[in-house]
Amino acid sequence: MAKTETLSPTTVSRSWLPRLDGGTGLMAALIGVMGFIVLYPLVLILINSFNTATIAEPPVYGLKSWRDAFSEYGIWRSLWNSVKIGIVLQVIALPMGIFVSWLLARTNILFANVFEFGFWISFFLPGLATTFGWMLMLDPSTGLINSWLRQVPLLGGLNFDIYSFAGIIWVHLVSNGLSTKVMLLTPAFRRMDASMEEASRMSGASAFTTLWRITVPAMTPVIVVVFLLSVIRIFSSFEIELLLGVPWSFYVYSTKIVDLARQEPPLVNQAAALGSIILLFLAAFIPLQRKLITRRQFTTVTGQFRPRVIDLGAWRYPATAFVALVIFVLDVVPLLSVVGGSFMTRFGFFNLPKTWTLEYWKMALNDPRILQGLHNTLIVAVSAGLVGAVLFSLIGYVLVRTKLPGRAVLDSICWLPSAIPGVLSGLGLLWMFLGTPVFRPFYGTLFLLVIAQMLGGVTLSTQILKANFIQLGKELEESSRMSGAGFWRTYLRIVFPLMAQTMVLVGVIKFMFAAQHNSAIILLATSETRTLSLLALDQVAAGYREVASITIIMVTLLTLGLAIVARSFGLKVGIRAE
Amino acid sequence: MARTDHVSILRIHNLYKTFDRVVAVNRINLEIKEGEFFTLLGSSGCGKTTTLRMVGGLEKPDGGAIYLADRCLVSDTQKLFVKPEKRDMGMVFQSYALWPHMTVFENVSYPLKLRGIRGAQAEKKVAEVLTLVGLSGLEERQAPALSGGQQQRVALARALVFSPKVLLLDEPLSNLDAQLREEMRRELKALQQRVHVTVIFVTHDQIEALSLSDRIAIMKFGQLEQVGTPEEVYFHPATPFVRDFLGKTFLLPGKIATISEQEVEVQVQGIGASALTLQRSHVISPSNGFPSVGQTAMVAIRPEKIALSNDGSDTRGNIVEGTLQAVQFLGDRYEYTVTLGEETRVIVSPEAQQLRPGGKVFLQLKAEGMTLWPREP
Repeated sequence: MAKTETLSPTTVSRSWLPRLDGGTGLMAALIGVMGFIVLYPLVLILINSFNTATIAEPPVYGLKSWRDAFSEYGIWRSLWNSVKIGIVLQVIALPMGIFVSWLLARTNILFANVFEFGFWISFFLPGLATTFGWMLMLDPSTGLINSWLRQVPLLGGLNFDIYSFAGIIWVHLVSNGLSTKVMLLTPAFRRMDASMEEASRMSGASAFTTLWRITVPAMTPVIVVVFLLSVIRIFSSFEIELLLGVPWSFYVYSTKIVDLARQEPPLVNQAAALGSIILLFLAAFIPLQRKLITRRQFTTVTGQFRPRVIDLGAWRYPATAFVALVIFVLDVVPLLSVVGGSFMTRFGFFNLPKTWTLEYWKMALNDPRILQGLHNTLIVAVSAGLVGAVLFSLIGYVLVRTKLPGRAVLDSICWLPSAIPGVLSGLGLLWMFLGTPVFRPFYGTLFLLVIAQMLGGVTLSTQILKANFIQLGKELEESSRMSGAGFWRTYLRIVFPLMAQTMVLVGVIKFMFAAQHNSAIILLATSETRTLSLLALDQVAAGYREVASITIIMVTLLTLGLAIVARSFGLKVGIRAE
Repeated sequence: MARTDHVSILRIHNLYKTFDRVVAVNRINLEIKEGEFFTLLGSSGCGKTTTLRMVGGLEKPDGGAIYLADRCLVSDTQKLFVKPEKRDMGMVFQSYALWPHMTVFENVSYPLKLRGIRGAQAEKKVAEVLTLVGLSGLEERQAPALSGGQQQRVALARALVFSPKVLLLDEPLSNLDAQLREEMRRELKALQQRVHVTVIFVTHDQIEALSLSDRIAIMKFGQLEQVGTPEEVYFHPATPFVRDFLGKTFLLPGKIATISEQEVEVQVQGIGASALTLQRSHVISPSNGFPSVGQTAMVAIRPEKIALSNDGSDTRGNIVEGTLQAVQFLGDRYEYTVTLGEETRVIVSPEAQQLRPGGKVFLQLKAEGMTLWPREP
């Protein structure tokens, strides 16, 4: 990511916006819009943590919420639980992610491309599908694996309970904990100059000594970035803990906020106080993270490509089998169990007189709630995708190609949402829409959900677009200008066609994000505006597992299915640094 | 050169390697002598780097064998492959491959550490080798903080620190700018003579190959075209490829007029002289009835074996007529662009000649510089 600041001295002549005041106006509008939907809700959370009145009432300021919040043991407990999950997860996932990436990129393991695609699938597989798929496997009483274990004579007592700390860690690991790291690290490992490893071999080090002494240390800058990306999202994780923790009263930061806000009477002010703590944490952390990421440097990259990989020798087949097993656990198990669950009379009961049935699909396809959910999901996701692609391409263009004042501010605002837990921005938006009389009529409409979901992946989208504008090369536009085309003609005939694919990509990312994530909208949706994935959460909580399978399959089709279609059309739905 | 009496340290036998069914190295045989500076020269994709990497163990051959003295390193018949870390060879990579997370000292001492040499002994060895490459005092610098030339020296020090039997150099000078490259070239030669290590050097640069090597192997499409001393391959190229790859030549098509015990006379059209006389020993690949009177043939001569003159009355032999296209003064020399027959080449002369561009110029082709080739299709 080239820093826009470094471009500025030469971009003076390239501020082609029709007039200076037009440009300034545009910048003000962009900062206004982004500030309004990103910053303002957070400010409201801070302010209202000192407010003791509930949302729609005149404010009464005081410290009561803070006192109440932190005299309650459960709040401290939930914060600590988030941290604990984060630490344990990273301790397992990071070394494993490094090892798997190394196997995929630097060794002669078989089917490396297939496996990489497997991790890509896992990355786009909705967390809901993975979580629910593994619930069907590891439920202490009805889970398939557990009932198999009961039939094995010597292992009689063995039972894996997914509703436990270990279960939560396990599901984190198989949903995104590992695949995110593999997706980010594998390309970086591949770009590393292979001769650094070869020089180590020639110096007398074995393949594994080289991995330990040369490859991993040389990749440290990238590994640190990947680690920080995970650390900053410790407080964002939501669905897994909601499904697997809340049933046994195990709360983490985000589920606690939802719990407080949904209590009767709602303790929104305490939720705000809890939210503010994390804002302070992030305020310290984001600048550090951003600095490290924008300055990230890759080790020497050589242009020449040669299939230079390490020969694993006898370890080649065990290593291949290991990664194949990981892919099986990450992709095949959850998909099979969710799909299987939807066609079975009772999931896991293979000896019923009628094992398989289409009953649930018939029910689901006639269920008005599911149809309503699909309708809502499509509206929210399509709107978020369309508005997101247009808005963020404009932001990317302004950041890269103009020298308007305020770009640094705009850039900073775009970095924020990647770190803000979805629940927190949802809480802020709730306050904004319920607490401001002008906006109150919007509460209970899908518009609110569109705003909330548009923030998902803002950083990612902006970075992709910025990178593409930089890559595009100013000369293409300049030559159009020199040929006599004006600003808008250049934009429409040159910039837009060249950027169209990237804009579609950003739209697709936003769509997928909006279709599967619940944390930002769970406090904003009503039973009329419930999306499919919210509906699935409710169905699972109510124990309608077979119907929930079908809802989750629909969400999966809308996300993973779309990702596969986009990929086959040549869109590189990869991730850079978020 | 004078080293021909040395025993061979490295033997390559029928070495064969393919990448995705493309033959990269096609059954080559080589013997490299102890203490020799041996160069593999060729354009990109000729298999020279692949050969070097197979010697180092970084690439596994599909066939053939490599022996280091009496030790077999790899052999297809014995199903043997010695890993690179067990071969005790030093290697310098094109990108230098310094480890960015280590200091100069850590980079250079790494091979020692792996051989169990630590502490004062390691420090002494590192200091010695850094002095050798002219970098003493920079031990604590981080590798990326060095200039290109310094990085190169560190890479060289790292490859030499454990006194390997063979030093492999993969285009080590190609990432340096022209002036530095020339300087490093001289230092590399001096260094090799001081430490008496056997060097296998891969390059596509003919100047590097000619100036550094004891012997050169010129490769093309995975095969050896010619192996010999720099003088041999330059003045007595065995194949048209070697002739055209090393330096420039004028090629003059003609017809063999007479053949005697000592000389061959060739008639060449359009160069103002009736016939050129060559020594019989300068006939390349005499076989299949070549040369015989009446055959078409090519006379090849390098521009540096041509003397310029504005006077055609000189009676010595092999004077021909060309056209002067341009003259450029480069300070220490003049460059005359001359068309002879159908080819245009640059002839260098230290002295100014009274010549006008566009006019005729008389060229004296020195007999010892001419070679006779069968007519190429």
